[in-house]
Amino acid sequence: MLAKALTALITVAIGIGGAMLVYYLLNKIAELLPERWEDRIKPYLYILPAFLAISVYLIYPAVLTVINSFKDRFSRNWVGTQNYSDLLSSPAFRDTLLNTLLWILIVPAVTVILGLLVATLADRLEPSGEKLAKTIIFLPMAISMVGAATIWRFVYYAAPAGQSQIGLQNALLGVFGKDPVAWLQQSQFHLNSLLLMVVLLWSQIGFSMVLLSAAVKGVPVDTLEAARIDGAGERQIFFRVVVPQIKGTIITVFITVTIGVMKIFDIVYVMTNGNFNTNVLGNEFYNQFSTNFNSGAAAAIVVMLMLAVIPIMWYQVRHFKAEEANA
Amino acid sequence: MRIPVKKSTSLLGVVALAAGLTLTACGGSDGGSGSDSSTVTIWSSVDQPVQDGLLKALESKVSGDGIKIEWKKVENINQLIMTKIQAGDTPDIAFIPQPGVVKDMASLDAIQPLDDVVSQADKDSMVPGTLEAGTVDGKLYGLLVSANVKGLIFYPKKAWEAAGYPTSVESIDDLNALTEQIKSDGNTPWCMGIESDTATGWPATDWFETLVAKYGGVDEYNSWVSHDTPFDSDVVRQAADEFSTLLFTEGNVLGGQEAIASTNFGTAGNPMFDKKGPGCWMYNQGSFITGFFPKDIVANLDDEVGVFGFPPATAGGDNPIIGGGDMATLLNDSDNAKKVLAALAATDIGNDAAPSSSFISPHKDFDASLYPNDLTRSYAEVISGTTAFLFDGSDQMPGEVGAGTFWKDMTAWISGQEDLDTALSNIDASWPSS
Amino acid sequence: MTSTQTTPAAATPTAKQRKQNTGGGHADANPAKAGWATKLVLAILCVLWIVPIFGTFVTSFRPLDDANSTGWWNVFTHPGDLGHLTLDNYQRAIDGSNMGADMINSLAIALPATFIPILVAAFAAYAFTFMEFWGRDFLFLAIVSLLVVPNYVAFVPLLKIYRDLNLNGTFAAVWLAHIGFGMSLAIYILRNYMATLPKTVIESAKIDGASHFQTFFKLILPMSVPALASFAIFQFLWVWNDLLVALLFIGPGENEPVTIGLTHLKQQLGQGWELTTAGAFITMLLPIAVFLGLQRFFIRGLTAGAVKG
Repeated sequence: MLAKALTALITVAIGIGGAMLVYYLLNKIAELLPERWEDRIKPYLYILPAFLAISVYLIYPAVLTVINSFKDRFSRNWVGTQNYSDLLSSPAFRDTLLNTLLWILIVPAVTVILGLLVATLADRLEPSGEKLAKTIIFLPMAISMVGAATIWRFVYYAAPAGQSQIGLQNALLGVFGKDPVAWLQQSQFHLNSLLLMVVLLWSQIGFSMVLLSAAVKGVPVDTLEAARIDGAGERQIFFRVVVPQIKGTIITVFITVTIGVMKIFDIVYVMTNGNFNTNVLGNEFYNQFSTNFNSGAAAAIVVMLMLAVIPIMWYQVRHFKAEEANA
Repeated sequence: MRIPVKKSTSLLGVVALAAGLTLTACGGSDGGSGSDSSTVTIWSSVDQPVQDGLLKALESKVSGDGIKIEWKKVENINQLIMTKIQAGDTPDIAFIPQPGVVKDMASLDAIQPLDDVVSQADKDSMVPGTLEAGTVDGKLYGLLVSANVKGLIFYPKKAWEAAGYPTSVESIDDLNALTEQIKSDGNTPWCMGIESDTATGWPATDWFETLVAKYGGVDEYNSWVSHDTPFDSDVVRQAADEFSTLLFTEGNVLGGQEAIASTNFGTAGNPMFDKKGPGCWMYNQGSFITGFFPKDIVANLDDEVGVFGFPPATAGGDNPIIGGGDMATLLNDSDNAKKVLAALAATDIGNDAAPSSSFISPHKDFDASLYPNDLTRSYAEVISGTTAFLFDGSDQMPGEVGAGTFWKDMTAWISGQEDLDTALSNIDASWPSS
Repeated sequence: MTSTQTTPAAATPTAKQRKQNTGGGHADANPAKAGWATKLVLAILCVLWIVPIFGTFVTSFRPLDDANSTGWWNVFTHPGDLGHLTLDNYQRAIDGSNMGADMINSLAIALPATFIPILVAAFAAYAFTFMEFWGRDFLFLAIVSLLVVPNYVAFVPLLKIYRDLNLNGTFAAVWLAHIGFGMSLAIYILRNYMATLPKTVIESAKIDGASHFQTFFKLILPMSVPALASFAIFQFLWVWNDLLVALLFIGPGENEPVTIGLTHLKQQLGQGWELTTAGAFITMLLPIAVFLGLQRFFIRGLTAGAVKG
């Protein structure tokens, strides 16, 4: 065991030391160049390792994906746009698109609002209280999706009427003498999709809370005090002073969560696997990819996602431009 | 003007880089395909006790040849193996539970035919039908090593005998009559649950496979599995009819039809053993379900649990059985890997696994006295006595259907979100064209 | 409303204030105090958040038959059940999963896979924020857009590359994968945070004759600590809890992390979930400790002087 720990430690040191060295060397290389060239080349050297990583792990696979979306299930023969037309002509797939849209409309907004709420309110507590509250909200993030599925099973599970309920919600119904409800099958008004979103919110609010909390803490105290001296109420201070100053972080969180929700699959996969009209694009992708071994259809879904992300990026560009103009 | 950077960091860095290069150079050699080393790697998802028993017997067979076995338990082997094949990084032998995946592996030329690897005597001792499941285009690619039986109806033995219900049922009509009898005694005849996390719906497909096999016989079953007979056909509708008679009729199922899709298959049978008397009386499942029963029941299986096979359509008629299992496939044609596979095909490979696990041998001549209890022996008798062992149909169908629409549309039908016509036509429509 | 308000000397108060804050006892004083409404809302949220976990936590001490037949609250409502509570699930999870060695592996994977991407992303984010170069916006947007590509599409091509490099099964294989997969988000978060730091700080540093390398290490990194800490928390968590990447690139064996070890406890049809749950609670402890440890970087004033944009 000790030998193993030691080997691991050495490996870790080598990995981290190696990474540091790369930058040191890159910087040295840049400094060897004449001054005029140094400034021109340096930015590229700084982003080079990041870009290499992204090229290998994202760009190259993404390009392959676009190509594969026009090929058959094992990526051997060209099939034209058949993968797309097959998907889009299936009514089940259209339901899947609608459900995904529902997730995109609801989850990012609620994530930002709840995360901001916790970050702001906890900020006002005593340090120990703040720490406790934040740790509790953060706790679910430390749980793997499979763990989360087990946890929520004990909330939503429905045993046959008359049997003892092990799901919290049905046990509560039982207290009021009501029959158990199979929660995850309730597809009217997409109740079951909403219940799945609750699981995602529960597990991911910690993400927005951490980022927004850091931003809220970064708001200079003097701007708050200035507003207070001017007689502004707490609500006014929050909306007129705090929110404008952390707008950048809010947008960052909103866009990150939106993109994350576009490809959300694990919660849906482990809890319903898309049954009862809860399917979403990410889950459909996963099933095409891992269950059906149809990399053509899976690739077509990813390409659709890449197209769908363009409006979000367009918004981001506009935000940058506005930022630059203000600077 | 530059401020010099401290020298010490750079020295550390150089050492680190040098060491890092060495590490990369000598790191990680997976016992992959193509290599003909003395170590043979096996991947499987079988339960640990089964793996331990098989490994013990296997080692004693091949260690004389200087072969070392590296057996890894992996989760979700169907998905992992397809990914690894496409990446060209595979074990020598893999145990695959789904014939559909074996077919895909063969079509990717990732596995070797076993016709000349497995001895004729070992092939001859296999239960009829077990070789067909692993055969693609006339060649044997997957060899069943450990089996399970489906379509077994479990009942709480003590209460059952006290109530005087019959311990064997001759025909489906008799089963319907028994169901009525139990209900008229004021009891709930059936336990039923098809919830299984990501695989919700599969127990319903097992029911359908059993019913199609019993009503249609071997040929009709195989024709249905290969989609020559569509889902929207008389035999499938007949199966659906019987399914809904037994399970949708008011008072037949614990919790009613609405509860089926939300009740977990693993715990659905447990009310049979309620202290205050059975909450439901019969549970149709595979041989593996006893592992889910409460601990005190598992400790006394032979006293607590009774079982009979799902009856044939007519008394004394054709009675094929449905089952599943793990098939060994050969991904590397090295001599050592072939030797190991040949050893896995022998009847006595299960001698160490049988007494201590849920292992059931697919060989007719396996020594039944090795099984740990009468219940296991009775499944083994069902297997070795059958005229036709039909491999689980949904596992043979393409993934889109067998692990997709067949599960999902059955679930939608049972939970009342789709009518039968829609469900059947959806499944037919999802069958891949190529 | 951006850096125009900041004076060129902004960098100096940052350092000073930080010293004050970490030294002082009540560093984190928010001028606004919590009223009862604030406390109530937070209390409700915390209870809602913790109850599902608490229930499962209680369940992890119950024998499987109890867990399958009655709700976890029975432990409190039926005192008889209290006597059933047992450490058995934990005992079997630890024995069955090779937990000690797997924990070391997990650490050996997670530490570099957290640290390296942060370093790499921070350099890139610095370049994207403070340096002018051709194609800057385009490259940045390309990186962010790629966030939408699921990791899965990269698996097969990567396994092929790794096979050729003989990397499969090594720690380096997973480090590199996590560096690659985490990079987009890391750059995005860090770049957006750095954009809120005052450009004047950089300019004054330049006037003082500092190189980019020095500015980065001595000014920007310290000022970005909250963002770095946030991302470190997430990345550590994701790597620690990752099963899929580990399964594909390391696989079961002597280098396997805890997540793979725990899957050995589960059987083909899902038996053994009670052990996986117990194991999950053990492995949760470390990410929580990391979170608590890094929380001290979320202190008011650490970035004071930097005006948000």
